[in-house]
Amino acid sequence: MIVNELVRQKPLTAAQWTKRIAWRHAVGIFAVAFALFPLVWMISASFDTIGSLSAQKLIPNNPGLENFRTLFGNPDQPYLTWLKNSIIISSANAVLQMFIGATAAYALSRFRFKGRKLTLMTILVVQMFPQLLAATSIFLMLADLGKSIPFLALGQTSALIIVFAGGALGINAWMLKGFYDTIPAEIDESAKVDGASHAQIYFRIILPLARPVLAVITLLSFIGTMNEFLITSVILGGNQKSLTLAVGMQQYIDGQYSAHWGPFAAGALIASVPVMILFLYLQKHVVAGLTAGANKG
Amino acid sequence: MKFGNKTPALIAKIMLLGALNAFTVWCVPILISNKTWLFAIYFTISTLILDYVFLSKKRIATKYIVPGTILLLMFQVYPAIFTGYVAFTNYSNGHFLDKETAISVMVSNSFAPVGNTTNYMQVAEDNLNGKTTLIIKNDDGTFGAGTRDVFRPLPDSDVTLSSDGRIMKVTGFRTLSDDEVFAILDQFNDFKVPIGNSKFFSVTDINAVELVEQNLSYDATKDQVTDILTGTIYSPNNNGSMISAAGEEIEPGWTTTVGWRNFSKVINDERYRGPMLQVLAWTFIYAGLVVLSTFFLGFLLALVLNHPRMKSKKIYRTLLIVPYAMPSVLSTLVWAGMFNQDNGIINRVLGSPIPWLSDPWLAKFAVLLVQLWAGTPYMFLICTGAIQSLPSEVIEAAQVDGASPRQLFSKIKLPLVLMTLAPLLIASYAYNFSNFGAIYLLTGGGPTIISSGGIAGHTDILISYTYKMAFAAGKGNDYGLASAVSFFNFLLVASMSIYSFKKSRTIENMT
Repeated sequence: MIVNELVRQKPLTAAQWTKRIAWRHAVGIFAVAFALFPLVWMISASFDTIGSLSAQKLIPNNPGLENFRTLFGNPDQPYLTWLKNSIIISSANAVLQMFIGATAAYALSRFRFKGRKLTLMTILVVQMFPQLLAATSIFLMLADLGKSIPFLALGQTSALIIVFAGGALGINAWMLKGFYDTIPAEIDESAKVDGASHAQIYFRIILPLARPVLAVITLLSFIGTMNEFLITSVILGGNQKSLTLAVGMQQYIDGQYSAHWGPFAAGALIASVPVMILFLYLQKHVVAGLTAGANKG
Repeated sequence: MKFGNKTPALIAKIMLLGALNAFTVWCVPILISNKTWLFAIYFTISTLILDYVFLSKKRIATKYIVPGTILLLMFQVYPAIFTGYVAFTNYSNGHFLDKETAISVMVSNSFAPVGNTTNYMQVAEDNLNGKTTLIIKNDDGTFGAGTRDVFRPLPDSDVTLSSDGRIMKVTGFRTLSDDEVFAILDQFNDFKVPIGNSKFFSVTDINAVELVEQNLSYDATKDQVTDILTGTIYSPNNNGSMISAAGEEIEPGWTTTVGWRNFSKVINDERYRGPMLQVLAWTFIYAGLVVLSTFFLGFLLALVLNHPRMKSKKIYRTLLIVPYAMPSVLSTLVWAGMFNQDNGIINRVLGSPIPWLSDPWLAKFAVLLVQLWAGTPYMFLICTGAIQSLPSEVIEAAQVDGASPRQLFSKIKLPLVLMTLAPLLIASYAYNFSNFGAIYLLTGGGPTIISSGGIAGHTDILISYTYKMAFAAGKGNDYGLASAVSFFNFLLVASMSIYSFKKSRTIENMT
């Protein structure tokens, strides 16, 4: 935004400040209140030992850890197992998606081979048919495959990880190729002169240079998988022990939501705080990654 | 930099290829024996290609692309095509098997009681192998021991009876108490003791069995199933079921193609057309309203909180993106709690039990409000970026020409920001068009549209409607119909992508 030099040099008087700036703070504070309220409400609920929706106050009358004990001690809804599943699936998926996208992007950026443009076009076209919309077919396909291959059966976390890995090429390859294109080819050339193989150039030069971008992609994939509901519930839905948090926590909104409110809030708190801290810590990179598409367009 | 030893990489490569080949050699015969031809062929060809590519000295670029492509074809391209196929079938609960399997299940599951007397029985456990065994009293007063595999007579001397005729002890067996039997009751649902001549003892009570007989038989040449006891003849209909002249169907049916029936159902059938149109309209409106409302709120906030003289801008920014950083599944569920009609905080503050999630219009409002909350931070972020990169010359020039702040906003800033962000706004529209969690986790798509037979709801968007058709307990499980609706969804989403590629000149800029 334009910086008006004259205004900058002169300190504002109290009257000017009130007229020009104060209302902005008022809007900002109001917006922050709207943004934070659900979070604050959730935190308050998780420490409120009454644990029910109707009796909750913003500042709990009798704070305690009762909800966390209830949450961990419920064998029908095994929170810790779900948390573990979520972390395993999200980590595996984040690494696989990043790696598959990153390798393909390397070839598309660095090699000139027959069928390259066709590959790029294909990836683009495939993106138009997201896995999300084919959840029904994926379900039927795994129901069939699972009869032969146990780790691809419905209810298996491994099946979910492999299905997600299948969507990886379409998601990241284009964006990463754009990034690789900005790494000067001379670097590759000089490594080649030093006797490096194509794999060594990739693993020891390109990947380290792309580390910040790859970190953001990995983080976004991780959060994305943590949050994925549809395909996860279709594939894992039948197996209470292999659920992820996203799918499992939904069981808390049933007829007795009111009574489960405290433990639910405690579980949501544990699951969301690490993700939020990571996200806010990396926010600069994340924002850059999000807007990459716009700047290029 | 030194690039010396390549041996570890070579060993790793050989081990990975070895594992892959071992996997294929192991699974292809199983796939073939289960008649999963397509995947047997696909796995074989994929493995051959990978072997060739990775053992070849050339094909360098291909090495980097092939693994991802093989997965992509199997788990993204194939499901999309398969959706097209399923849309033309009657895939649904009760039509899940192929015809051959369905008929063999029909025949082997068909049991009709012979006579209507029951025989006394006591559950026991074989001391030799621990197998659950039924000690059954025959009509002539002798006893026999039956398992799922065999029924053998017991000498009378082995069985000790109580004074009222109950079995107390059996040599070689341990009789179970009633409590023990109740604990394993599930086992007896399909516990049939074969006694020859297609006759079986079937459990009816914890102390009783009845004699049953397999009553259906299949004639492959006539393609008919006959009930031996009643003489009723069942023939296949065009929906993958065996049906009698009187219209009686035998479970289960099989999967078969049904032509355009699923599509014509959606278009012509009153029960689907109305709800479908309603859902479709709401999907467009919903996605549009979410993008509009979040964009305008985000843009306004970005303008307001971006004054050069304003302090603590960074703090506002960090706090405002919190909703975006919070996992959306969880935040949506928290909102569901806050909207709770009887006890939610919103109604407690307002002091009246407003039916937020069960009134058609209020539920729509609630869904939009939650998305306004969840989506604004993203718009705020990208708008802030766009505003900061606005060319200052243009704005200065406008100011010099005497543009009012309002004109500056509507004639300069808004159009420029919109232009920069157009591709992201289209992407956001497409994202919200299929944002399943936003709807399903807050309202479950509800409240129900009564005329839809309970499947469609007033806040359902296409993807949640499809999900409920396919997976909702009780009402759904019509995969064929769900795929037909998915097909429409695919078309819509694909046209949005094409539009966005055109707009952002993705293809022209491809290098």
